[in-house]
Amino acid sequence: MTTDQRARSIGVHLVLIAYSLLAVGPILLVVMNSFKVRSAIFGSPLALPDASTFSLVGYEKVFRSSHILTYYSNSLIVTLVSMALVLLFGAMAAWALTEYRFRGSTALALFLSIGIMVPIRLGSVAILNMMRSAGLNDTLTALILVYVAQGLPMSIFILSEFIQQIPKDLRDAARCDGVPETRIFFEVVAPLLRPAIATVAVFTIVPIWNDLWFPLILTSSDSTHTVTLGVQQFLGQYITDWNSVLAALSMAILPVVVIYVILSRQLIAGLTSGAVK
Amino acid sequence: MPEPVSNITVQMPRAKRAGLLLFFLGPAVAIYSLFSIYPLLATMALSTYTSDPSGARSFVGLANFETLLGDALWSKPFWNALRNNLIFFAVHMCVQNPIGIALAGLLSLPGVRLKGFYRTVMFLPTMLSVVIVGFSWNLILSPLWGVAAGALKAVGLGSLFAPWLGLESSALVTLSLISVWQFVGIPLMLIYAALLNIPEELIDAARVDGLGQFRIFFHIKLPLVLPTISLVSVLTFVANFNAFDLIYSVKGALAGPNFTTDILGTFFYRTFFGNQLQLGNPTMGAAVATVMFFIILLGLCLYLFLVQRRIRRYAF
Amino acid sequence: MANLRIEQLNKRYGATTVLNNVNLSIEDGEFVVLVGPSGCGKSTLLRMIAGLDGASGGDIHIAGKLVNALAPAERGIAMVFQSYALYPHMNVRKNMTFGLKFTGVPPTERERRVAEAARMLRLEELLERYPRDLSGGQRQRVAIGRAIVREPAVFLFDEPLSNLDAALRVSTRVEIANLHRLLKSTIVYVTHDQVEAMTLADRIVVMNKGRIEQVGKPLDLYYEPANLFVAGFIGSPAMNFFEAEVEGIEGGRARVAGTAFRNLDIPAGSLKVGDALTVGVRPEHLVRGEAGFFAAEGVVELVERLGEASFAYLRRVDGRMFVAEVRGRQTPAPGETMTLVAASPDVHVFDASGLRVAT
Ligand SMILES: Nc1ncnc2c1ncn2[C@@H]1O[C@H](COP(=O)(O)OP(=O)(O)O)[C@@H](O)[C@H]1O
Ligand SMILES: [Mg+2]
Repeated sequence: MTTDQRARSIGVHLVLIAYSLLAVGPILLVVMNSFKVRSAIFGSPLALPDASTFSLVGYEKVFRSSHILTYYSNSLIVTLVSMALVLLFGAMAAWALTEYRFRGSTALALFLSIGIMVPIRLGSVAILNMMRSAGLNDTLTALILVYVAQGLPMSIFILSEFIQQIPKDLRDAARCDGVPETRIFFEVVAPLLRPAIATVAVFTIVPIWNDLWFPLILTSSDSTHTVTLGVQQFLGQYITDWNSVLAALSMAILPVVVIYVILSRQLIAGLTSGAVK
Repeated sequence: MPEPVSNITVQMPRAKRAGLLLFFLGPAVAIYSLFSIYPLLATMALSTYTSDPSGARSFVGLANFETLLGDALWSKPFWNALRNNLIFFAVHMCVQNPIGIALAGLLSLPGVRLKGFYRTVMFLPTMLSVVIVGFSWNLILSPLWGVAAGALKAVGLGSLFAPWLGLESSALVTLSLISVWQFVGIPLMLIYAALLNIPEELIDAARVDGLGQFRIFFHIKLPLVLPTISLVSVLTFVANFNAFDLIYSVKGALAGPNFTTDILGTFFYRTFFGNQLQLGNPTMGAAVATVMFFIILLGLCLYLFLVQRRIRRYAF
Repeated sequence: MANLRIEQLNKRYGATTVLNNVNLSIEDGEFVVLVGPSGCGKSTLLRMIAGLDGASGGDIHIAGKLVNALAPAERGIAMVFQSYALYPHMNVRKNMTFGLKFTGVPPTERERRVAEAARMLRLEELLERYPRDLSGGQRQRVAIGRAIVREPAVFLFDEPLSNLDAALRVSTRVEIANLHRLLKSTIVYVTHDQVEAMTLADRIVVMNKGRIEQVGKPLDLYYEPANLFVAGFIGSPAMNFFEAEVEGIEGGRARVAGTAFRNLDIPAGSLKVGDALTVGVRPEHLVRGEAGFFAAEGVVELVERLGEASFAYLRRVDGRMFVAEVRGRQTPAPGETMTLVAASPDVHVFDASGLRVAT
């Protein structure tokens, strides 16, 4: 390496490190200070908690005065069930649209892609009316149904790209082998779609976990709040109690960060696989 | 979506084919139609009605739209929200996407180490909830905590600090930048992926031709990832109309100070659900949603006719 | 095992015709190779026999039964794909048994068939491996094994060797020939490689632009190509062609003249004076000489030395090139003028529509 190249390489790393700091700094700051006593939060916000400043008083308060565990479990149920259905129904539809020639398939594909561009939120007025008249108001079922409808178009789009990358001969081989069409999908195609899950997750599942809008308009009781809504309301209530606010924020951040770090390799591989063009 | 590939259904007996298609497409089409398309259409239909205090609805044609666009009580906040929305969008286009492109360009340089680490870290904010991000920045920028002020002071720019989120002049841009900070990961990743797809030999050929990395980026890589950049722009445009969460969690439904951060999303919410100042009005809310729908449609059409047609995809 | 009859088969995609009135009859136990340039419709024909693509018109009979409306699995065929098409998430054993599950073969019978195919193809050691851990040749054998366990009436192969390297291609070719001897089943085999076609086939079907040009035994195609296309397609390097014209007819013989060769005499048949003809001679049939049934002159421009033989590229008087095979160590030098001759059986004459004219 010449000096010139080395200088350039150092420059590149400086920029990347600076931006990385900007990206995680605020998150670290919040999490770090959530473990400190109030005086230390204000006195030395940039310092790590030490023996004299460490405190869990914020977390105690959050556990005591909110139903944070209920929120977690609601979020988990809603996200996991939605994810399973989005993946299952999305992959099935993507398979039919990419594999079978039938009249109206192009029109149907166009119809399904409306949802990629038009936010389902615009239909909120009618959604609320529907859920009320179906008695689903303030239930997790209502959230799940809406999220599945919201996630399907994008997941169909992404999964179609993946299904096309599966060699055509594989399906034809299975047909010659006498495998029924449904089994071709479930036993040959579906197992090969595993790498697609990460991409679908980033574009449809993460937005579900993080959503504020639909919990806000469709759920009204503590027992159906999700983490995002629950924490948002808690924050509004205890706005001046910095320990609690920071703890609540951290509790919303940490599970996501942990899961993200564990799965980041697959997630990023999925994102960069070029399936979204 | 490309042409279907298999002719297997063509030979099938009609009933069997219908059964197969119903099995695979039925669930997705049913849920999607019922909970996405139908509500959209029902909302549009509702926008042509009005309801009196007793709850009875009556058809009024386009009167709601006349009110929305003609009555100063409605049109002033509407145009204000639309203008703010456009500013919000412009900040994303001018800040988020160039930063995303630049970082993707740096990450795709040959021989840069720790790529995986940088990517993971830079994408992290995108994974978090907008509510959490908004609130965290709210604290950081708060003069009460003084972290931002302290940081500026440390580099000798202490005098520049102001409670940006609280000032009418800067609140909207500050919120836009918070959103940029969070979502820079999307253009970064998509463009990075597109850059990875460019065959190595093409870059090597350019290097043999004597082009430096800078020129390679601007003359070879950038034109080749233009389709992805245009896709990112569309995603940015649509996301713009989902940006309710951030404003609502940082500024509340009233989008203060003095409605300077009001966007169509918050305007829609206030109209629909009401707030301290007014009662909720579902039919007017439906009208706002309908107008938003047409704005999105207009934006997409402009994009399709003005931009998409001029962009060429190159095969490698 | 079964015979196969194809009648008036047509395939169109929109306005383009991919197969045009294909008629073909294949005997029980016959090894038939479909050969032709890329894009001529070989795979399409094979996929239609398999039932993977529907016909636009015409009938397919397998073992005397009309199969037009049957699904692939009901036709008694097995297909080996160019890409092998092994299920990546199943090991070799599962790859071979997967299909049998759905066609009602009991488990013990499945195991027996797998064991037998594995023995035949030397796959015993590989049964628990996944496709990603196999070499190209091994994958190929698994793909064939998967076809064998189905015990089909007709085997369909679509360019099975084209993803293998040259050496493996030769040994697998021999293996497939052995397999056919062992199984005695009907095989339809697609390739664009004429060497494969010549070495494997009982009968070759030469296709071009969706039509069958000629069906025949390998050597019949070589020595008596029915038309210009087959003449040019079979043989490497390709046959040399010379433009010619019937100059005169006397006593039942036609005098054929061209600018680039000396006049020759052929039976007149139905030829008329002024008819345009094409005279064809294979490079390997041209020898250095002074006079012969056919004789042409040229200036050597380039010599390709292959070892057992060399190819001389010569410029003819009409400015075009032709090729002659030269045996032995003495090769002509560029710039040298050569006269090359050929005997009557090795000279092919085609009329204006490309059909063979008796010589
Ligand atoms: N689904 C299709 N739509 C339109 N044309 C097709 C389709 N499949 C094949 N073809 C055309 O049919 C011709 C024959 O293809 P194929 O049978 O694969 O040729 P071969 O196997 O001889 O190389 C080609 O010209 C190809 O472009
Ligand atoms: Mg082919």
